[in-house]
Amino acid sequence: MKMLRLVVLAVIVPAALGACSSSRQALTIYSGRDEALIGPLLERFSDDTGVAIDVRYGDSADLALLIEQEGDATPADVFISQSPGAVGYLAAQDRLEVLPDDILGSVLKEYEQSSGHWVGLTARQRVLVYNSDEVDDSELPGSVLDLTDPTYEGRVAIAPANGSFQDFITAMRQTLGDDVARQWLEDIQANGVQTYPDNNSIVDAVARGEVEMGLVNHYYNVRYLDEDPGAPSRNYQFPGDDIGSIMLATTASVLEGSDRAEDGEEFIRYLLSASAQEYFADSTFEYPLAQGVEPSDELAPLDSLAHPDYDIQRLGEGLEETVNMIRESGLL
Amino acid sequence: MASSNASSLSFLGRIWLRAAAAVVAAGFSVPFLYLLSENLGSEEPFGFLGGEALAPLGRSLGLAASVSVTASVIGTGAAWLVGRTDLPGRRIFKLLLPLPLVIPSFIGAFVMIAAFAPGGFLESILGPLGVESMPSIRGFAGSLIVLTLFTYPYVYLPVAARLRQLPSSLEESARLLGSGAWQTFFRIVLPQARSSILAGTLLVFLYSISDFGVVQLMRYEALTRVIYATRLFDRSTSLALSLQLGVVALLVVAIERVITQGPRQSSSGRTSRALLVPLKRSKALATTLLGLLVGAALMVPIAVLGFWAIRGLSRGTTSGVLVTGSIAGPTFNTAWVAILSAVVAVGAVLPVVYLTVRHRSRVGDVSNAFVVGGFALPGLAVALALVYLTVSTPALSGIYQTLTLLVVAYVIHFGAQAMRSAQVALSAVPTTVEDAAKVLGVNRLHRFLRVELPLMRPGLVAGGGLVLLNVMKELPATLLLAPAGFQTLAMKIWQASESSFFSDAAIAALLLIALSGSLTWLLVIRRAEV
Repeated sequence: MKMLRLVVLAVIVPAALGACSSSRQALTIYSGRDEALIGPLLERFSDDTGVAIDVRYGDSADLALLIEQEGDATPADVFISQSPGAVGYLAAQDRLEVLPDDILGSVLKEYEQSSGHWVGLTARQRVLVYNSDEVDDSELPGSVLDLTDPTYEGRVAIAPANGSFQDFITAMRQTLGDDVARQWLEDIQANGVQTYPDNNSIVDAVARGEVEMGLVNHYYNVRYLDEDPGAPSRNYQFPGDDIGSIMLATTASVLEGSDRAEDGEEFIRYLLSASAQEYFADSTFEYPLAQGVEPSDELAPLDSLAHPDYDIQRLGEGLEETVNMIRESGLL
Repeated sequence: MASSNASSLSFLGRIWLRAAAAVVAAGFSVPFLYLLSENLGSEEPFGFLGGEALAPLGRSLGLAASVSVTASVIGTGAAWLVGRTDLPGRRIFKLLLPLPLVIPSFIGAFVMIAAFAPGGFLESILGPLGVESMPSIRGFAGSLIVLTLFTYPYVYLPVAARLRQLPSSLEESARLLGSGAWQTFFRIVLPQARSSILAGTLLVFLYSISDFGVVQLMRYEALTRVIYATRLFDRSTSLALSLQLGVVALLVVAIERVITQGPRQSSSGRTSRALLVPLKRSKALATTLLGLLVGAALMVPIAVLGFWAIRGLSRGTTSGVLVTGSIAGPTFNTAWVAILSAVVAVGAVLPVVYLTVRHRSRVGDVSNAFVVGGFALPGLAVALALVYLTVSTPALSGIYQTLTLLVVAYVIHFGAQAMRSAQVALSAVPTTVEDAAKVLGVNRLHRFLRVELPLMRPGLVAGGGLVLLNVMKELPATLLLAPAGFQTLAMKIWQASESSFFSDAAIAALLLIALSGSLTWLLVIRRAEV
């Protein structure tokens, strides 16, 4: 009977395939960065160095959970995270090795982490995206803290479940204190803030005019306008050293106990090389973090940005309290 | 009837059947046991049963129950219109009505927002006609509408199949005796299609309660959103809430078991062409309604995706992921891993199907519950459970990060869909046929292969088809369990949409819809209609 043969095949084929793929020769990368943003670089690295690569793409937080669940048996050698939170979670569990000094020293000082468990690759800036048809420039707030003002009642969108928003709250806690952060969350909730799932849906909602403005990372609207140049959505950067315009790093790290640690480090060096950093700058609209590499022409130079004086090294810490604080405010 | 059932298998045979079902149940129980042990080991065991923790569950139950009602009404109505009336364009509707099932909810909801929300495509089309702004679709209402549009095929498919099998002679007699079309529908058709409607509605319920993509984008605070939001920094809460879903599923199965204790549906005989009810003046209305349904659930998503794809291609803003031909691999992977999982799923649930339909027993009931429950658990929980099991069991560590484990995850997650239609199919196989074969001295295996399997085939194929479609669009378990480097179309769509590459996401999504549609047609619809 055909059916029976199919069933037998169904058991044998994957078993055989499994046997083939279990030879662990390749450098295994768990990447929270999507293929569109890093895939070509992986190929180039593999071609240049002859190191074979296996890559698993996924959500940064999910991959961190996976590494935790896999424990010492994890096949991952390198973890690339889209947000400091997920990598901080693993660093706190001693799952990451300390990177060599030459790697740590190759990035702008603010983006090397003090304990050396991870290094910043690129940065995204927190901005306020707004609909230029509906919001007059003069209405834009001078600080993210002003969004709790009655003027903005019901007009603002945030993404409380999103890692970047949570990183921003962590930064607010670390610079202005827990009380200020808690109060801001409660006030913005009371001010009729609209909650969305992620950066993408906020930019889309703002562009459609469903909501007037929203807190996001700069990257998404630059991409959105690239797809639809007619959209009325614009990025606004809070002036001065406002906490609302901090930089969030995407990070790279090597897993503790990896048997391919050297290749992993070589790979990170490659990602921080001038050519790779220029690739990030030109094709992903992000700020390169290696010293001496300029951002794309469409962006303001990094050092001209008056980003607030906070300790990016500690961003990965304390996210659990941040999430609890957001939940207590009723936003999550 | 019961005694003839029991006698269709020898004592030894029944032991074997139970053993097989128990093995299957053990496999399906892995995620439950994992969640249970994680929960018992947490600081607050059974904290998930507390008052405050139940609020999101309440919202999810309310949503899932409502979707069940709307989807079953729409699915049943559509099946009746297509199968029993002189509706114009029945053939086209037959082809299009099941297809919304192929759209992954995370992309489907996004597309629906782009189409119907304020400032969306529909508003810009209706703008010149004087429509100022569309009502915002979000929250409970938004989730209800979108979930209904994407899940009604779960009811439509089995009911349509059932109507094809049902002799229309009873309906014809009723009509001759003077009852109207409505009366005939409620008094004759509905009772006979009841078990098919129930089977489909159960799947709708489980799909809705465990869905994340739609409630996330519609911003409805359902249970799965809390599970997602807490997964990393409050893992015990996340896993405890996942366990809530599992418990609910088991309860629902128990309730369903009680409801279906009643008389089994009358067995089928294939009929000559059914007498079609003339719709008369309602013809235009019925056609419009079905047209709107297919339009909203299928044409609108395809149109929006097509718009993004063409805009991106003409502006050259696709990321190059598609140009380099790297989409071919994922397309191929998606197709064969889905077909494989569908076949394995049908095979795996068969012992449970036999045990539940032919020999009611406790082993059968328990296995049935675990198989159904697997569909209600979040894909992430199923994946983490399998990671835990394989990594910590030396004998199983060899299958970690292999396709075998991925297929196992799919089977656990979606086996329920194969089982439901298989159960309906087997209960429609008259035991008299088996008895006759037995009297003629045909041995058990031969009876199964020669008599029962061919009779059950349309049901098995339809069930396998549901598994196929769901595997093709599955995301969370695939992301964690696929061997590194193994990509599927759903992964491509998700990645592109995460980074705001709308055109790439749209092209991959259209490809997924086309692939699902053609595979369903080739492997399922053509075969199930024999």
